[in-house]
Amino acid sequence: MDMPLLCAGFAAVSVAFYVLLDGFDLGVGALLLLQPHERSRNHMVDSITPTWDGNETWLIMTGVTLLAAFPIAYGILMPALYIPIIVMLLALGLRGVSFEFRTQMKRYQRRWDAIFAIGSIVAACMQGLILGALLQGISVEGAAFSGSVLDCFRPFPALCAICVLAGYMVLGGCWLHFKATALLYGFSKRTLRVALPLFLVTFCVVAGISFFIQPGIVAAWHSHPLLLSIASGILFLAALTLFASIGKHPDIRPMAAGLVMIAAGIAGLAILMFPMIVPFRVSIWDASSSRLSQIFLLTGAIVVTPVVLGYSFFAYWVFRGKTPEKGWDG
Amino acid sequence: MNLNAATLARVQFAFTVSFHIIFPTMSIGLAMFLAVIEGLWLKTKDDLYLQIYRFWLSIFAMGFGVGVVTGIVLSFEFGLGFARFAQLAGPAIGPMIALEVLTSFFLEAGFLGIMLFGIQRVGPKLHYFATCMVALGTLLSASWILSANSWMQTPDGVEVRNGRLVVINWWHVVNNPSWLVRLPHMLTAAYLTASFLVAGVGAWYLLRGKHLAFAKKSVALGTSFATVLIAGQVFIGDLLYGTMLNHQPSKMQAAEGFWERESASPAPYYWVILPDQKEQRNRFALGIPNLGSIWLTHSLYGRVKGLKNTPRDAQPMMGIVFYGFRIMYGTAILMFAVATSSLWLRWKRRLFTTKWFLRLLVAMTPSGIIATLGGWYVAETGRQPWVIFGLLRTIDAVSPVPAKTLLTTLIAFVSIYTFFMAAFLFFVAHFIGRGPDLALQQAEASGSLKNAFRPHVLDRANANATVGR
Repeated sequence: MDMPLLCAGFAAVSVAFYVLLDGFDLGVGALLLLQPHERSRNHMVDSITPTWDGNETWLIMTGVTLLAAFPIAYGILMPALYIPIIVMLLALGLRGVSFEFRTQMKRYQRRWDAIFAIGSIVAACMQGLILGALLQGISVEGAAFSGSVLDCFRPFPALCAICVLAGYMVLGGCWLHFKATALLYGFSKRTLRVALPLFLVTFCVVAGISFFIQPGIVAAWHSHPLLLSIASGILFLAALTLFASIGKHPDIRPMAAGLVMIAAGIAGLAILMFPMIVPFRVSIWDASSSRLSQIFLLTGAIVVTPVVLGYSFFAYWVFRGKTPEKGWDG
Repeated sequence: MNLNAATLARVQFAFTVSFHIIFPTMSIGLAMFLAVIEGLWLKTKDDLYLQIYRFWLSIFAMGFGVGVVTGIVLSFEFGLGFARFAQLAGPAIGPMIALEVLTSFFLEAGFLGIMLFGIQRVGPKLHYFATCMVALGTLLSASWILSANSWMQTPDGVEVRNGRLVVINWWHVVNNPSWLVRLPHMLTAAYLTASFLVAGVGAWYLLRGKHLAFAKKSVALGTSFATVLIAGQVFIGDLLYGTMLNHQPSKMQAAEGFWERESASPAPYYWVILPDQKEQRNRFALGIPNLGSIWLTHSLYGRVKGLKNTPRDAQPMMGIVFYGFRIMYGTAILMFAVATSSLWLRWKRRLFTTKWFLRLLVAMTPSGIIATLGGWYVAETGRQPWVIFGLLRTIDAVSPVPAKTLLTTLIAFVSIYTFFMAAFLFFVAHFIGRGPDLALQQAEASGSLKNAFRPHVLDRANANATVGR
């Protein structure tokens, strides 16, 4: 069996889970900045509090899968993306501790909420920057990064940062539409009506520019025109469905459409980059670790992932329905 | 030492990992403590246990949060600062850490939400199950990460082919020679940490004459756990000492502070030294005569082997290893003294009234954390100049990141982590000052798994939620 291919599949699945799940809670975090009422902000944070930790674990899963299965790629990408990764980690850290600190130190809650929102925004932007840097290309010599750590700070990655932030805000809006009570009904509708067009416009601009700066993308469209067209088609269809279902019942529909839209985007990116793990430079087979290592990883993943998904779903189930306006503690 | 990229990468890793380990040490210990307490509550239905549970749950949650966010950093830092290490060691430690994420991080995350916020939503038994799963998660996490770290100390089961590491036997990688000694050593350290935290807070309340029932129970529980644990730790520590002497003699040579191949006979046990690595001698040394022979060679006139037995280019820096070891060992001796006194005072029925003892307990509140940090400094700096002992030198593992960038991010880490620590301590102090809650609501559901799926339980929980707060 082609172990590197299966490992790449698992890495792609964990990236997808990360973006889809942490996407909405980063989005909710970013939206805190736009919400002036403390009661509404509490409600927004309460809606993601019980489950954010599990969502973020998919990020660690992604990093560690890369380390275990593709150590060569991990060793190239980490130094290349050094600054955005560290800034992202620090931002996620500030955001993560705000969950606890904001409720425990009521007196400074406004400030913690600001930290929470800025942490979420910065983390989202850094993830966009990382995506942009990957698409624009990374300098590699042998098995080491050979460029400058400042390479990722260019206009194209910056544009990707806005696109990703807008995408997460769409997911955040969908989540609030689904989980929040009437308190945030208008807010989530307004959010979606602004964030969705913003996301689509930046997405189109990014996609357009990518043809001119990365020949690998043109080549990918030549080799997989059908798959890429299908992915783009689903993305736009889902976006239309989302827009049409804002404010309608059942209130989960925008969420479902939003998840499909972002998932189609991730699938498109995966098709563009395949089979490269350091995009357009190092393939999954060249970056692989030893066969026994990949077998160990995959065995663990195949046995444990279903269980993980099972109790993660259970955790969502326990906190199903509308988030109580008074919080979980009662 | 000049500030080149290698030094800065090491300082950054040392800082972030030292900061991080404080929180998992507390979480591993407190999670087990909470599982025991909730179990006792379910068994006795004594509300005092529920009070203790709620009190430590909040501190646990806060510490756990800081632990999670500082832990995410580490999973990327292997590559950020030490790309060559990641590329070489990835095939061995990568899958272990991946399994840690899969079997432990997700387990903790999945059930932590229920543990913290689900007390109104699920029944007591299911809630207890969640607590146990979180405790199990911390245990599994410690097992995997200790296995990965032990592999770096005593690598086994691999071969280097064409500059790439190939795993030939997974069982030997996971169950490498030091894992099964270092794991119980770390777990016991974590449980000791929790015991002294609990006893210290109880003693503080007793000295102030507040929350007496809570305080007495805390002191009684904390000291009895600590007594059993420290006795075990002395034994495990001795076992580990022998293991490391076998596999990494250079580390233990540095830890004891002797330079010459053979020390004088009888050898003293040093407590203060001023080592000069260049001259390969101590400029100053102060110790207890004869004790070195007795403790280290288990004979009256035995000679202790010094660091010159290790070639100069394979020697760790003696000072930091020595003092790491002395801090850990000295704290352990104090813990032993506290445990012995607690037994005596309990026998005399003066455990809750002896002022000096209670003050000592308050002073010992962070002792577990201090000892654990000391121990990790021995483990990690004593392994130098290797990052994977005998396989890869730290200096050859560093990433192609410029020193200036490393310095900038180091400053960012230090400022933000200091902020975390300040906020954490502020919260804990505030929380201890406020004291344990008096009124406690218990969940109404009967506690079977079924109830979690039944809507009326939810409705009632929501109704409660509307009444409260």
